[in-house]
Amino acid sequence: MAALELLSDEGYRADGRRAAELRKVRARMGVFAQADGSAYIEQGNTKALAVVYGPHEMRGSRSKALHDRALVNCQYSMATFSTSERKRRPHGDRKSSEMTLHLKQTFEAAILTQLYPRSQIDIYVQILQADGGNYCACVNAATLAVIDAGIPMRDYVCASSAGFVEDTPLADLSYIEEASGGPQVALALLPTSEQIALLEMNSRLHEDHLEEVIEAASKACKAVHAVLDQVVRDHVQEVTALLGD
Amino acid sequence: MAAMAMRLPVARKAVRQSAAPGGEKHLVAPGDIITTDTGYMRGHGTYVDEEKLIASVAGAVERVNKLVYVKALKTRYNGEVGDIVVGRITEVQQKRWKVETNSRLDSVLLLSSMNLPGGELRRRSAEDELAMRDYLQEGDLISAEVQSVFSDGAVSLHTRSLKYGKLGQGVLVQVSPSLVKRQKTHFHDLPCGASVILGNNGFIWIYPTPEQKDEEAGGFTTNLEPVPLSDREVISRLRNCIVALVTQKLMLFDTSILYCYEASLPHQIKDILKPEVMEEIVLETRQRLLDLEG
Amino acid sequence: MLGNVVRVAAVAASGGGGRLGSSAAGAMLTSRTFLKRTRAGAVVKVVREHYLRDDIPCGAAACRLCGARPAGAGLEARPAGAASHLCPGPHYLLPDTNLLLHQIDILEDPVIKNVIVLQTVLQEVRNRSAPVYKRVRDMIANPEKHFYSFTNEHHRETYIEQEQGENSNDRNDRAIRVAVKWYNEHLKKMKNEENIQVIFLTNDRNNKEKALEEGITAYTCEEYIKSLMANPDLVDRLACISDEGKEIESGKIFFPEHLPLSKLQQGIKSGIYLQGTYRASRDNYLEATVWVHGDAEENKEIIIQGLKHLNRAVHEDIVAVELLAKDEWVAPSSVVLQDDSQNEDDIENEEEKENILKASVNKNMLRPTGKVVGIIKRNWRPFCGMLSKSQIKEARRHLFTPADRRIPRIRIETRQADTLEGQRIIVAIDGWPRNSRYPNGHFVKNLGNAGDKETETEVLLLEHDVPHQPFSQAVLSFLPKMPWSITEKDMKYREDLRQLCVCSVDPPGCTDIDDALHCRELENGNLEVGVHIADVSHFIRPGNALDEESAKRGTTVYLCEKRIDMVPELLSSNLCSLRSNVDRLAFSCIWEMNHKAEILKTRFTKSVINSKASLTYAEAQMRIDSAGMNDDVTTSLRGLNKLAKILKKKRIDNGALTLSSPEVRFHMDSETHDPIDLQTKELKETNSMVEEFMLLANISVAQKIYDEFSEFALLRKHPAPPPSNYDILVKAAKSKNLEIKTDSAKALAESLDKAESPAFPYLNTLLRILTTRCMMQAVYFCSGMDNDFHHYGLASPIYTHFTSPIRRYADIIVHRLLAVAIGADSTYPELTDKHKLADLCKNLNYRHKMAQYAQRASVAFHTQLFFKTKGEVNEDAYILFVRKNAIVVLIPKYGLEGTVFFEEKDKTKPRLDYNSEVPSLTVEDTTFRIFDKVKVNIMLDASNIQHQKIRMVLVEPKIPGKDVPANPTTEASVSNEPEKKKKKLQK
Repeated sequence: MAALELLSDEGYRADGRRAAELRKVRARMGVFAQADGSAYIEQGNTKALAVVYGPHEMRGSRSKALHDRALVNCQYSMATFSTSERKRRPHGDRKSSEMTLHLKQTFEAAILTQLYPRSQIDIYVQILQADGGNYCACVNAATLAVIDAGIPMRDYVCASSAGFVEDTPLADLSYIEEASGGPQVALALLPTSEQIALLEMNSRLHEDHLEEVIEAASKACKAVHAVLDQVVRDHVQEVTALLGD
Repeated sequence: MAAMAMRLPVARKAVRQSAAPGGEKHLVAPGDIITTDTGYMRGHGTYVDEEKLIASVAGAVERVNKLVYVKALKTRYNGEVGDIVVGRITEVQQKRWKVETNSRLDSVLLLSSMNLPGGELRRRSAEDELAMRDYLQEGDLISAEVQSVFSDGAVSLHTRSLKYGKLGQGVLVQVSPSLVKRQKTHFHDLPCGASVILGNNGFIWIYPTPEQKDEEAGGFTTNLEPVPLSDREVISRLRNCIVALVTQKLMLFDTSILYCYEASLPHQIKDILKPEVMEEIVLETRQRLLDLEG
Repeated sequence: MLGNVVRVAAVAASGGGGRLGSSAAGAMLTSRTFLKRTRAGAVVKVVREHYLRDDIPCGAAACRLCGARPAGAGLEARPAGAASHLCPGPHYLLPDTNLLLHQIDILEDPVIKNVIVLQTVLQEVRNRSAPVYKRVRDMIANPEKHFYSFTNEHHRETYIEQEQGENSNDRNDRAIRVAVKWYNEHLKKMKNEENIQVIFLTNDRNNKEKALEEGITAYTCEEYIKSLMANPDLVDRLACISDEGKEIESGKIFFPEHLPLSKLQQGIKSGIYLQGTYRASRDNYLEATVWVHGDAEENKEIIIQGLKHLNRAVHEDIVAVELLAKDEWVAPSSVVLQDDSQNEDDIENEEEKENILKASVNKNMLRPTGKVVGIIKRNWRPFCGMLSKSQIKEARRHLFTPADRRIPRIRIETRQADTLEGQRIIVAIDGWPRNSRYPNGHFVKNLGNAGDKETETEVLLLEHDVPHQPFSQAVLSFLPKMPWSITEKDMKYREDLRQLCVCSVDPPGCTDIDDALHCRELENGNLEVGVHIADVSHFIRPGNALDEESAKRGTTVYLCEKRIDMVPELLSSNLCSLRSNVDRLAFSCIWEMNHKAEILKTRFTKSVINSKASLTYAEAQMRIDSAGMNDDVTTSLRGLNKLAKILKKKRIDNGALTLSSPEVRFHMDSETHDPIDLQTKELKETNSMVEEFMLLANISVAQKIYDEFSEFALLRKHPAPPPSNYDILVKAAKSKNLEIKTDSAKALAESLDKAESPAFPYLNTLLRILTTRCMMQAVYFCSGMDNDFHHYGLASPIYTHFTSPIRRYADIIVHRLLAVAIGADSTYPELTDKHKLADLCKNLNYRHKMAQYAQRASVAFHTQLFFKTKGEVNEDAYILFVRKNAIVVLIPKYGLEGTVFFEEKDKTKPRLDYNSEVPSLTVEDTTFRIFDKVKVNIMLDASNIQHQKIRMVLVEPKIPGKDVPANPTTEASVSNEPEKKKKKLQK
């Protein structure tokens, strides 16, 4: 059987999207009462849950405290049932530690940590269903959770992936597109200022193409931003309406 | 065989601004430019970039004269002098206790800022220091007042009044600090037969109304006598009512709690937490409050 | 645009309230769920998203309902296809999958236009046949054909879900019908004066009935094609697929059934069956080998013998084989058998022949033997060949004999047998039912009269898959505009070397001069040597049509009277040809050497040169030799020659092999282009001089680009042959009391040098020819995909091709890599993508191989022409190989090789005794060994017009009881088969 056609000559991807289109994004803030902030996001079939605690007193060894800003502590995990094959994922496996580190870098760039010296902010994200773009879903969910927690940020951090197939950049890769092994860029962007919080690339991509792929990814990030922004505004509006004055 | 109630989640109804009394509020999300006018003072929830005032949290823009700040929907507790708080001891240190008060950093209760048994004002001796854990140990709940706020936002507490001190039997509910309405007094003896302390930090303490006020206060001993069932039921009902109010984002103060309590009476205590009941009783409370205002 | 959500799954945590972002515009979401078995055997559920859209255009030019017009031609507003009496009105066609797969030849006819290809159909075609898929894609891309591919699976109104109890084939059929219906309704809405109809074409009876029930106009392909009024001959090209086995001409079942694919896969997994590529034997139609895929050491090559075991497999198919029990194993037979029976049901004859194979088998030679149990993938392509007209008058069924003997004869149905007789035609196979001795096929194209030079050239180009169409306008548009001159811009990264005394040395008549040399003494006493190669990559820019075409062609193909250029002539014979006394752009490799030919410094630069002389090898040799000449060019040549000799010695000391293969050259009649004489090529010292520097340049460049791009340097390697390859050589030498050592290239080279026999001067050449046959093919590869770089023949650790960019595409890539390495040009994405580079290498290797074969086939054809005019001749020959029933001889005078058979039908068979140890063959009382000198009679046998043969008949030694020249008992054939002929070691 011939390998899967990722982008048909008519310009449609395997799931019917065009090259620059995102999967359907649905999100919700404040899904848990006991956490300071929480959010749930679906990007296509990728589903992620993020929970934020803090800023609070340092937990564990106090020596890790930073005297001029808050420490951002992240943890990424995948539910055992998140992939088609059930798999135990012990904490600290290589992939999730890497993801944890990336999330930390991303949010250290976005949160105004200097406002909260010597404290700690915990961001926990879990993938409930993995269908490509796990990192991006995590970042987007965590952004909503941080906003929900009322922690000051420079801007939203929106993330999206982009790949490169048949000389065309594809936005927001799904699992089958990721699995094809082509080049893949994950971009976390502060959309208003267009500053890049994190850029990661897998596989080899020629430098001539890099710009268009990043361009596709940042366009996708902005589209994600529009969705998230709407979610946040609706949420704020609803809550303020309830609060009355 | 006992029937079991099964509940399935239903689609959440979006609460539209059917009755948005707040009118046109200026709502912002992080990254939004509030103003490019440089004449303003920068307040909480904002930052300045390239001479623009930009929101860093999601919420409503508030202006006080020249000061512009964004009030986030929920935040951790920001201590202010004079606030009444309920907190939990997390650590016993030299001459002070660390208290978790839902603040960004743990609050401090100095040995010197509390009334000790036997005499209102006496010097703290070395023995007192050694006996600190006898007074308050890790996990104890206290009520206190904010004495001062440090530059990093940490709070120093005092319990130099008979109203404050160690809390005994009761129920703690944690809510968002923004939902606790500032009032003259935060200690209420409700006519329904229980008392509440509405901590400004969002910690709410529900306890049976003490019989003799004077003796109990400021003590470090806990009354371990069983609380009668009727009191416990009242406390449970109050607790669920408060949770209902919080879920529906209604401000907490004595009247709202009381109205909600009354509205809940037709229901069993355990049923209060059902979404439709919550909605119903809070709506009723809201209506009564509006009637009261109007 | 926030679309509507079709199915929102209730999400426990959020309880709904979702919203659709600026995702797929106007899209609805559904999901496809299916179960899949993983490699470990677990069953997992896979959920994939599936977006449905309403912005997919229908493709009709007159449609105003669909917003965006698709790129490309689309369907015509007034479809003016061929008039059909079944559907006189304007209509579009919509074929189903099987129709597309089987009747592609018809659909490719220019008459068929305005066809809608559904995505469902396209996907199925893609999964089932890559070549057909490519052809469909080409048709869609062709603006003349007005084919349109409609993405129905993602259209909101044409997507359907698989129903309970419905298998995926039925679902797809239903999807197609739904799409036809939608089209008809959609086109009605257009309110055009033209009432365009969509006609569903299917050969599936069930599907057609269902379609008619649903009110869809549906025809079978046959009905439709027959209804085309103007084109009766199209019917011939209908593939004869009989879905309900309607042709039961003989109740006999010839072949065992093929197992279904699922069973094969199971069997392959469990190891009962082996999967491999089927390779029919060229000499024996009852024998084939299967090259088993995978890395298993044993049973790599399985022999299949006998019609039943071959079981309808065709050359190059991927098949599943079952090994037979060890006592049924056979040895590869050395018998030559051709399928020439006229009566197709002649089974007894068949069995008799099979028995011949089994007779007299040496136990040591037994090889794993198996039978084909099923076909995993057919690899049928259109075949060239000729019609063998049925003897029955007015018959419509005829047998077609392909030119390639590995392909079985094909039965076709045609009404134009009389016209097609004696013509070269193309036929495609449609199927091979169990009850048929031969596969069924249909006529595709007529090429012309057999025996015509043009037709035969066309045939051999087609058979060897050599792209030879004239360059398209798109390709030509990328050529530089004439008159061309060197501009300032061109000089930016170039050195001006016009003052150097550069000259070129080539064979006579060469117009594509891609290399030139110079040599001069430096002030410090050292020598500066430069190799200047035409800068083709300056003209062929990456990615444009010109580049793509050259990459596809891969190499220039030299036939005897014709050159199939890789790049357009303007470049190959003018702008890139380093002719004398004109300024030309070059890529130069310049060394500083001392007089011992040790390289002190190497540099590469783009340059401009002005060649002072274009010489032939002979002219150059003459200049070097004539003491009187002392001009710049001559001194330069002498310097080069001196260095070349040292270089060559060094190389040979390192273990490089000097091999030999007889090369012939035809002298053509200048008017008729018929060959009038034939001579073997003569090598002069200057040939080797040029070669030496080319090798040096190639090695230097290889090193440079590998240093710079360790992952994606395009290199060339020549693997060492496995020791067993040398068996025949060692045995042959032994029979002449000579020892050939084969443990290393160096030992081999040395022992070859020593292998001289004073009584037999030609022996050494013969040995070298034989050695050449033992070698592996040299190949291009990408350095990132391999780790063995060694070039065995040249004894160089690294090698590439740099020196002939006009005629080899590999050199263009190497030029580009080198240009990037020295900063003279910019890189581009494909250049640094090792997978793309590996794919390119694959194509280049294939094209080179095919070019070689085509070249040999051309030589063979011209040899035949030559002997046609020359008549019979008697010549000396040497035995190259000894087979069971024949000997292969080489005639040095013509470099011609042929087989002399000792058996013939209708004759008493001579007593044959084959000894595989020596090897030797004793015919009656005469024993033949390798290298024996014989005398043969050569003549053209035109009795079979398809395979004209050179007959070789033994004259000396005479075999008793045989009357030799008058009535040849032995025959030889030099056919236009490439592989058996000289496997030339490619440098």
